[in-house]
This record gives sequence, structure tokens and C-alpha cells, in this order.
Amino acid sequence: MFSKIIHIAGRECRQMFSNPIYFFCMIAFPIFVVSFFTTLMDDGQPVELPIGVVDQDNTGTTRHLTRMLDGFQTSHVVGHYPNVNEARNAIQRGEIYAFLLIPKGTTAGLMSQKQPKISFYYNGVVMLAGSTTFKDLKTISTLGSAAVGKTKLSMLGKTDKEIVAFLQPITIDLHMISNPWANYNVYLSTTMVPGLLMLFIFLITPYSIGTELKFGRAKEWMGMADNHPLIAMLGKLLPQTLIFLIIFLGFEFYIYHVMGFPHPGGVLPIILLGVLAVVSAQSFGAFAFGLMPSLRMSMSVCSLWAMVSFSVAGATFPVSAMDAPIQALSWLFPLRHYYMIYQINIFNGFPIEYAWIHWVCLLAFAILPLLVMRNIKRSMLEFEYMP
Amino acid sequence: MAFIWGKEMKMTVKDEGVLIFFILVPLLYPLLYSWIYNNEVVREVPVAVVDNSRSAESREFIRKCNASPDVDIAYYCKNLEEARELIGRQRVHGIINFPSDFAKNINRGTQAHVALYCDMSLMLNYKAIYMTVQGVSSRMNSNIQIEKSNGFTDRDDEITTKPLDFDEVQIFNPTGGYGNAILPGVLILIIQQTLLLGIGLAAGTAREENRYGYLVPISRHYNGIFRIVGGKSLCYFMVYCILSAYLLLVIPRMFGFTIMASAQALIGLMVPYLLSCIFFGMTISCMIRYRENVMLIVVFTSLIFLFMTGISWPKNNIPAFWQGVSWIFPSTFGVRGFLTISSMGGTLNDIKPEYEALWLQVIIYFLTTCAVYQVHINRVIDHVTHFGKHDK
Repeated sequence: MFSKIIHIAGRECRQMFSNPIYFFCMIAFPIFVVSFFTTLMDDGQPVELPIGVVDQDNTGTTRHLTRMLDGFQTSHVVGHYPNVNEARNAIQRGEIYAFLLIPKGTTAGLMSQKQPKISFYYNGVVMLAGSTTFKDLKTISTLGSAAVGKTKLSMLGKTDKEIVAFLQPITIDLHMISNPWANYNVYLSTTMVPGLLMLFIFLITPYSIGTELKFGRAKEWMGMADNHPLIAMLGKLLPQTLIFLIIFLGFEFYIYHVMGFPHPGGVLPIILLGVLAVVSAQSFGAFAFGLMPSLRMSMSVCSLWAMVSFSVAGATFPVSAMDAPIQALSWLFPLRHYYMIYQINIFNGFPIEYAWIHWVCLLAFAILPLLVMRNIKRSMLEFEYMP
Repeated sequence: MAFIWGKEMKMTVKDEGVLIFFILVPLLYPLLYSWIYNNEVVREVPVAVVDNSRSAESREFIRKCNASPDVDIAYYCKNLEEARELIGRQRVHGIINFPSDFAKNINRGTQAHVALYCDMSLMLNYKAIYMTVQGVSSRMNSNIQIEKSNGFTDRDDEITTKPLDFDEVQIFNPTGGYGNAILPGVLILIIQQTLLLGIGLAAGTAREENRYGYLVPISRHYNGIFRIVGGKSLCYFMVYCILSAYLLLVIPRMFGFTIMASAQALIGLMVPYLLSCIFFGMTISCMIRYRENVMLIVVFTSLIFLFMTGISWPKNNIPAFWQGVSWIFPSTFGVRGFLTISSMGGTLNDIKPEYEALWLQVIIYFLTTCAVYQVHINRVIDHVTHFGKHDK
């Protein structure tokens, strides 16, 4: 039996060498994807986002405010506009993401205690840029208020400690567990890249099975396994498993070891998850083909599954905020379980049993193809390729 | 040209694969996508409380957090260890911890601390919790200041706590929602990706059906490049005019996304966008040897194209190299232009760089398409003359 598997695996290797698409989808594109995402967000957080100022007051105080804003790491004042309309147009042209409006009489009002009002407008369409600039502008406004209070209090002879305690009686000590930099590379690359790697596995698996039918080699393939579908499948998928494992574990080595992404959970869950992700994705692809033994249909379904995965994995928008039917459907996507296991066991470092149900689900995906073995055999021996 | 157009039209309807990508996916996928994101914002994120202070002040803080729309105080824990356990079990996404001297510090006039622990595996949850807790603390701070400042009137108190008032206005996204921000871009991207898939599939089929693996059949109808390119692209263009109308006019209205595009701006953007997508797809399609390969090549690029448009990671922070790469693809300019005219109500003038780039792409990809087809026609002609000699 083993010799048969090895024999079929050897045949598979020859096929992979002869069709360049395998090289691209199993090695070239995955490496491209990994380097794209990790270099794209290399800054970790958006920095020096362009913002504008509409300073109609134009006094020393307001200019100081503008300078402070410019001094923040995330904001960069690139334009001064005479009025709101021009600043809004600049947002529409994509030149700035937000602007601060300081109306005429702000400084005078501040001095005479008339509670003047400044406003900031930020673009809600590019969400990350909008919320980042919003944070800076909010800090500036709070600091502006605090500066006034501070001057008044030190005039009364209060010490710095008293002033701080008066201005901010309660402060918040924020602890961002595992990702204290709010690093978006850590946040997004750890789910998006595995999702894309699984997409390649999703597609290559039915492609390699389906092309046996397409090129009329199915009977030869089955014959080599004495018409035993399990042996045929094992032999066929084995070389692919090995290549994808190298790619997937290589990716994990790169982000966790070389890039130093946080992984308090340790090495064991990382390796286990890598192996299980590859195997379950392959199994899902094989299962899809077994259900619909048509190359095009199974690949279309796998494409759809892979693309929807990115949304229902819940890494960007939480699954708990989606409608109930979608919450239920999310269990059918391997990437959802990958993400849950990643964040519980690797990112937050809880023991494996905390995410046991997701491990079980991934294992269940891995044995799915056993259900359709007979179907695969029948299709290989009886079906003709239909475009 | 009309013959080729007719043949291509017939194929679009008859070939199941092309039908799926040209009609079914653009029709149904946006519905699914909109459904996933239709709740727009994250509400009532569960949080655990570890209250070592057990004072009126700490309870006021907790009550105010619970009353906010974004946070739900789901559990009270004895200690941090217990609360950490709840994070591991995914019951809560944050912990608010009051130290035992919390109330004492407030009343004594020294600074009191609240520790907030956030699960960082989901930025939107973190944002909801952090913003809420910060808001509550600043409101309580104001009340404490008012008590201490002995103002004469309410107006005095207001001014003491907030000498400089400020307003925050989120523009162009009234719900502040996720779907509203990301879906317009996705809709535009769907147009490009389904076009690439459909055209690639059609070209793959043409080559497979051809006895010698050529893109262009040996027929007297197919002896001019402009005929072939014109006929085929006209077919795709007509189909996608209708689909674009559905994607960009019907879908956003069904789900209530911001849409402010004027007809003039929309047509001004979409015509070059569709044409550049079509010619880009036709150029790429020459590389498709077998029809199914197109899925292997195109599907994974969707996510990469989406990130290249700057809709998620801001475009100013995309490294220069990837910026350059992104200019190759129509979607980069298409999405940016569409966001401006539709989500932000811009005019055609505001997206001048985008539509100029798109027209440039139309010209370049039209020429490359012609070149590619010329190569294929030459091969066919070579083939015919070669075999012709043999026959003699």
C-alpha cells in the first residue's frame, strides 16, 4: 500500500513540474502574498497622516495649537485653508483626512471666559485614517482646555501635583494585552495571509483532482491505486501537503521569529495550527470536489468560500455584531476557526483547551473527504469532463 | 465585428462558467456582503469588572459604562485572574479594574487610577471599550471638578470644566459604520474581478476548443484585430453597463449606504473604468492556457487589490514601491474615484487625476490587447500557411 502511495506521489510530482501553474500557486504567489502584507503595513500604525487647519483666529495661541498637532506622530499638518468649504474640498480631493476649525475670536473668548468652541471634521470613509486623526484632534482639544486650567491654577499657587489631580481626578491606565503598540501588521497580517494561503490550497486541491478528468488521466490514476480512492487521494495530495506545509510553517517562522510578532502561546500551538490549517483546507477542497465532481463548480464554490472567509472570520468586524444566521454560518469556514485558535491560544496565550471546540472543528474538516470517497471514485471512473 | 459581438454575446449566455462570473456573482455576491456588514457598528461589547474599591464612586463609573451604547458590563469578578479566565473563554473582551484606594484618592484630592485591560485581537472591540471608558472618566472628572471649584453659577461650572468647547463631526459616513466605509470599494472591485474572471474563462475556453490551442479561430470573420477586439469588448461593455447600474445604483439604496454621485460624475468615471478593466482583462487573458487557471490567478488578487486602493490601510502609508505597483490596476483609481464622487459627493473635477489615469490605462491596455491578438493572429496565419505548404 505504501509503495502505491509513493508511486502515485511520484506521478503527482511529475505533473506538478510539467504545469507551471502549480509553481505559481504553491510557491511564487504565496511568497508574494506574505511579502506584500508584511511590507505594506511595516509602519505598524498609520503615521504622518495629512490633515488641514482652518485657522480664522490666527493668534499665538491658535498657532501653538496647530504646532502641537503637527508634532504628533500620527498627524501632519499639510494645509491651511481660509474656510470650511475649501477644507472640505481638500478632503474630497483626497489631500487631507481631517481638519481642525478654529473660528474667529477663539483666543479672545478663552481669555474672557466665554467658552469658545472649536470643531474638528474627519473623514469617515477611510475608517482607519479617520479614527487615527480623530484621536489626535481630540487630544489637542483636551490639552487646549487643560492649558487654560493650568495657567489659572498655577496663578493661584497650586503645585503641579495638585493641578494634575484637579484637572484629571480619574485617569485610565490602558493595558493593550499582547499588542501594546496597536500594531496593524500584527493585527491584520496574522489572519489575512493565512486566509490567502488557505485560498491557494482550497483551489489547487480540486484543480489537481479535476484535471485528472479533464485531461483523461483519471482511469490511469485510479488504476495505480487498484481503484482504491483513499490510496489514490493520499498519494495525490501528499506532495502538495508537504509543499504547503513548508510554505505555511515558513510563513509562521517568518512572522513570529523573524518579525517578532507576539506569540505568548509558544511554539506548540503555532506548529499544530499550521499543520491543521493546511490539512483542513486540503480536505475542504477535496470534499468540495467530491460533492460536485465538476472542476468548474467545485473551484467556484471554493473561491466563494475562501473570499467570504475573510469577512466571516471576524478578524476585522466581529462576528458577534453580525446577524444571527451569519453567526451560525461562520462555523462552516475553516478560517473562522483558524482565527479563533490563533487569538486564544497563540496571541493571548491561553492553554489549548480554551479553544478546544475550534480545534475539533478543524479536525472535523480534515476528515470530511472520507464522506465523499465513493463519490470521487465513481466520478473518476465513470464521468466525462464537461467544460 | 457584429458577428464577433454576436458570438461573444451568445457565449456569455450559453457558457455556464462565464454566466456564473458575469451574471450570478455580481448579482448575488454584493447582497451577501451587504448582509454580513449590515449592522454597521459594534454595540454592547461585553466587559468584566473587578471592583476592589466597592465605593459609590466606582459603582457610578460602572453604571455609566453600562448605560453607554457600546459597552455591556457582563460580569463582576473577584480578582483579575478570574476576569482573565473570562477573556480566555471569549465571554468578555476587556477588564475594568478599580484599585482599593480608588474612592479614597478621589476624595482626598489626589489622582485616582482605573486600570483597563483590552483584548487586542479585534480592533473594533478595543475601540468601543476604550472610547466608552474614556468618555465616562472625562464626564466624571468634570463633575468632580465642579464640586471642588466653588463656582457661583452653573455657567461658571461649565467654563471651569471646559474653558474650550469642542465639537466632533464625522463627515461622509453618517452611521460611522464599517459597511458604509468598505462596501462601496468592494462593489467597484467586484466589477473588475468578475470581468477578469469572465474574460479569462472565455479566452481559456476559446483556446481549448481551438484544435491547435490558439486564441483566435481560423475563420474569415477573424482576420482583423480591430474587429476582434472591438467586437468582444463591445459585448463585455454592454453587459457591464447594466451590471454596474445594478451594483452602484440599486445595491447601495437597498442597504442604505451613502450615495451622492451625480449622473454626470458617475458616467464620467465608470466609462473609462469599465473600458480599462475590459482591455486589462483581455490582455491578461492571453496568458490563460486552460480555462480553470483563470480562477487560480485572479481570485487571490481581490484582497491585494482592495488593500492597494487605500480603503483600509491609508494610501499615504503605503510604501512607495507598492504605490507604484498599484497604478497598474484599474481598481486602484476606480475605487478612489468612486469613493470621492459617491461617498463624499465630489464632482468629476475632484477626481481629475483618477479619471485621467483611467483613460491612460484604457489607451495602454487597448494597445497591449491589440498587440496580444496580433501575435495570436500571426501564429494562426503561420500555422495556416505552414500547413498549406504541407498539403501541396
